[in-house]
Amino acid sequence: MGIHPASIRTSRGGGAADSARRSDSLLTVILFLLPSLALFLIFVVYPILQSVYYSFFNWKGFGPAVDFVALNNYRRILTDRVFLIALKNGLIIIALSLGIQLPLALGIALMVRRDLPGRAFFRTIFFMPYVFSEVMAAIMWLGLYNADPQRGLINALLVLIPGAKPQAWLGDTRLVMPCIFVVLTWKYFGFYMLLFMTGLQNIPAELEEAARIDGANRRQLFQYITLPLLGSTIRISAYMSVLGSLQQFILVWVMTHGGPVNASEVMATYMYRFGFVRFQLGYGSAVAIVMFLICLIFSLVYQRLAPQADYLGAY
Amino acid sequence: MASVTYRNVIKKFGEVYAVNNLNIEIADKEFLVLVGPSGCGKTTALRCLAGLEEVTSGEVLIGDQVVNDVPPKDRDIAMVFQSYALYPHMSVFDNMAFGLKLRKVPKDEIKRRVEEAAQILGIEHLLKRKPRELSGGQRQRVAVGRAIVREPKVFLFDEPLSNLDAKLRVQTRAEISKLHQRLQTTFIYVTHDQTEAMTMATRIAVMNKGILQQLDTPQNLYDTPGNLFVAGFIGSPSMNFFPAKLEKADSKLVVKADGFSVNIPDDRAQPYYPLVGKEIIFGIRPEDIHNPTFLPPGIHASNVEAKVDVTELMGNEIFLYLVSGKDSYIARVDPRTRFAIGDKVQVAFNMDKFHIFDPSVDRENPPAVR
Repeated sequence: MGIHPASIRTSRGGGAADSARRSDSLLTVILFLLPSLALFLIFVVYPILQSVYYSFFNWKGFGPAVDFVALNNYRRILTDRVFLIALKNGLIIIALSLGIQLPLALGIALMVRRDLPGRAFFRTIFFMPYVFSEVMAAIMWLGLYNADPQRGLINALLVLIPGAKPQAWLGDTRLVMPCIFVVLTWKYFGFYMLLFMTGLQNIPAELEEAARIDGANRRQLFQYITLPLLGSTIRISAYMSVLGSLQQFILVWVMTHGGPVNASEVMATYMYRFGFVRFQLGYGSAVAIVMFLICLIFSLVYQRLAPQADYLGAY
Repeated sequence: MASVTYRNVIKKFGEVYAVNNLNIEIADKEFLVLVGPSGCGKTTALRCLAGLEEVTSGEVLIGDQVVNDVPPKDRDIAMVFQSYALYPHMSVFDNMAFGLKLRKVPKDEIKRRVEEAAQILGIEHLLKRKPRELSGGQRQRVAVGRAIVREPKVFLFDEPLSNLDAKLRVQTRAEISKLHQRLQTTFIYVTHDQTEAMTMATRIAVMNKGILQQLDTPQNLYDTPGNLFVAGFIGSPSMNFFPAKLEKADSKLVVKADGFSVNIPDDRAQPYYPLVGKEIIFGIRPEDIHNPTFLPPGIHASNVEAKVDVTELMGNEIFLYLVSGKDSYIARVDPRTRFAIGDKVQVAFNMDKFHIFDPSVDRENPPAVR
């Protein structure tokens, strides 16, 4: 193959040809990026900016937004008792998810990994709730939690115990959050179990064998080898669990509408109530922006703190 | 320091025998190499000793103690894995110290032992690094170091050199031999590479299809292989084999192959009389086929006519790929030989060094007759 004269780099003129080619390829890159960039701008960036804009107005959703209230919506959010309940409930769900749901998922992932009889069966059973739609799961649990022992399975079983009375599971302000958390755990721990199983599979068997020969018993093997090597999976799971908890909506809305008396209110139900039930779209937008900022700050802090190795691959 | 014994050890995976009735007694301080092709059961045998696999039946002993039910951590062994199995989240120091920490060895003692091992292996400057910051050769040393600091009764090596490049492999081979001299401990080493086996072992156990084929010193295995498999496996290039018939002519025993006939010297003929008239397999190593011009003195040579198919000059020797009749074979001849491809030449078989195998006893793996 001959060499095209233009492709020979010379001390003179070559630089110009080079930069021309570079700007050519830059143009190609821009052209190829444009479609997805356009979609991103129209469907992600624009709505966010629009929400920010509306959050400064007392807008009901009809006609143009004209009633400018500056930061009043934000001031109202941060002083509203119900929003603070919603925030507190979000934090409770996060704490319970990290403290109960993830360890449970890890424990079961460790169990179904071993040569347990029927482990494929258990794996499927544990993962199944995750496949259900959230609305379906919520309706199913509404049935189970029904306060009437004739209709709700849990109360039907409870009344079999001498002295026990049926409970209004979702109607009691003290019981409603634990009840919702049970459903959340039931629904999502299978997903985390799957994540952990994948993480466990990525740990070479020889590392655990080497540790066994080095003198590790089961607990030490878990503590010094399995757990540290699962670190990146655990951190990613915790990250997703926190974001999921902050954005929880469907299960709560279908089961309780945030009630009774706002006892199970979460940020998303609060936002929905104002945005789409009471049509205070300006205020709802401000709530959405606050939620967005909380998630954004959490994500940024996580990415700042997570070890680089998580992104490079641990081994 | 301890002896190791495999007594009637069977390991089955489902219906497949990975190790089939293995019996080996390994003396204290011995360097035993388990060698064989992939899937021959050598690694499984090692893992049974390590406690990573349970034996299906039989007994494994370390010293006088049957260890079948002893967990790996209590067997007082150390193992170097093919992949090195270094803990990726620990520094080199912590990798080496891990076993000692678990055994609650005092900190200053751990430090002393790790530094001493690091010095032996020349990895003192790497102690703070993570495994991913090391080259293959350095990782291999760390893996060996992790085994050394434990001061175990028995060292197990599972193909520790197979991930190294050829040059480093030769160098590390010598270092492992030196280490054995220095530590004076029982070494059990698994490899598929017969050169590694020959160069390092006190004794070699050749395995195939889960069965121990022969257990002997490297030299004896080379000189007097017990069967066709061992004869073909030990030595590089492999021994040449020729389907042949043993005949008697003028009171001499003659090996008749497709493309040649050679006489068996009278002083070696005795064991082969019962095979007269039978099909045999005649074996001769490439280095026992000479250029008649450069014949070593004092050997019984028998000339064979051959056609030169390929020649490979190695510098200190020449490999000739020869054809006689339907049989192709390799000769390793003096580098002064000037044979060209296509030449019809005479080569001399050293009839003091041939092997005869009897397929009527076992068609698949005929035993040697001596």
